[in-house]
Amino acid sequence: MASSLTWTLPGTWPMATVDDSLENLDERALVEACLAGRREAFDLIVERHRRPVYQLCYRFVGNHEDASDLAQDVFVRAYRGLRNFRGQATLATWLYRIGVNVCLNRVSARGLPTEPIADRQFVDSTADVAPDRLVRTERQARVRAAIARLPRKQRATLILRMYHEMSHQEIAAALGSSVGAVKANFFHALGNLKKLLGNEGL
Amino acid sequence: MHLSPEEFVDVVEGARSAESVAHLAACEVCRTQLTAIRAALSRAADGDVPEPSPLFWSQLSGRVNAAIDADASSRRGWTSWLQPRVLMPMSAMAALVLVVALLPAARGAFRSTPLRLLAPAATPPAVDAVDARDTNDQASDPLLAMVGDLSATMDLDTVADAGLAGQGSAERAVSRMNDAELRTLKQLLQAELGRPGA
Repeated sequence: MASSLTWTLPGTWPMATVDDSLENLDERALVEACLAGRREAFDLIVERHRRPVYQLCYRFVGNHEDASDLAQDVFVRAYRGLRNFRGQATLATWLYRIGVNVCLNRVSARGLPTEPIADRQFVDSTADVAPDRLVRTERQARVRAAIARLPRKQRATLILRMYHEMSHQEIAAALGSSVGAVKANFFHALGNLKKLLGNEGL
Repeated sequence: MHLSPEEFVDVVEGARSAESVAHLAACEVCRTQLTAIRAALSRAADGDVPEPSPLFWSQLSGRVNAAIDADASSRRGWTSWLQPRVLMPMSAMAALVLVVALLPAARGAFRSTPLRLLAPAATPPAVDAVDARDTNDQASDPLLAMVGDLSATMDLDTVADAGLAGQGSAERAVSRMNDAELRTLKQLLQAELGRPGA
C-alpha cells in the first residue's frame, strides 16, 4: 500500500509530496510514471539529479546565480522532452547532455564567464577555518576560474570527463562530435589549463 | 613523429598501446609532455564546486516545479486557440462579419446592373418592367425577403402597435370602410383629381 510523505520547508517552496512507492522504481519506470501524468515522479528525478546538474552548470559559468538558473532550465527542458528519453543512456547522461547544450548556449550568448579568484560566496570568513582548508578553497577557485576560461568545447569535454565520468563516446554524442575530436579537445583542455594556472602546483 | 593528442589521452587514462610505450621510452619530448598533462589532470581534480546552502536544494526543486507550471500554462495558452470550443464560435463570428461586410456591396452591385442597362434605352421603361425588377430585387435580396415574410402575416393592429399606423391615421380609416364607402371615396378622389390645378 502506497503511503505519502509530505514535508514543508519554511521560506522555500510551500509543499512537495513524494509517493513512497516511487522510491523503488528504476529510472525508466520513473520516466514512464512521469509520462503517465504522475508529476511527483519528476520531483523524484529532480531530487536525485539536482546536485550533479547544478555542479555541471556551476563549472560552466562559475557562479551560483547563473548555475541555479541554468540548472532550473535543464530540468524544465528535460520535463518538456521526457518522451525523447529512450533509456539507451542513463538518465544522468541524458540530463548532462541537456545541461551541456543549455550551458553552451548561455556561454555563447553571454561570452566567456569569469569567476573571480577571490570568490568567497560560500566561504564563511567569520568561522574558524583551518589555514590549509582556506588554501585548498582558494586553489579550487583558481582551478574553476581557469576551467571557465577554456574554449567552449574544451571546457565541456573536460567537465564531462573529469567531474561527471562520462565516456568519450557519451561526450561525443552529447557534443555532436567524434571520439577522436573529444580526445583531442580533452588533451588541449589540459594543456590550456596548465598554461592558465602557470606553474602553481604543477 | 610524436604521440598524437588521442594517444596522449589514451596513455593518461591507462589505455596505452605497445607502440605508445615504445615511443615514450625513446622520446624525451613526449615524456615531458606526458608529465605536464598528468599534472594538469591532477590539478583539475581540485576544481570542486562550493556546496550551496542546504535550503538551496529544496528551493531549486520548487523553482523547477513553478517553471514547469508556468511553461505548461503558457503552452496551453497557445494551444487553446486550436481547440474546437474556441475555433467554432470564432469561425461563426468570422463568417458573420464576412457576410455583413460583403452584403452591401452585393446589394449595390445587383441594383446598379439593371439601372446601367436601363439608362441608355431610347424609350422610358414600361411599368411592368420596373415592377418586375423590384420583384426580382425582393426575391433575391435576403433582407427584403425576410421583411416580406415577417410582414405577410401582420394585421393592422400589430402594425399600429409597432407605431406605424396610429389610431387616427388615414390607413386605419380606409381599412375599416365597406365596399360602398370605398366606391364613394374613390369617386370623391377622382373628382378632386379632375379639378383644374389639382
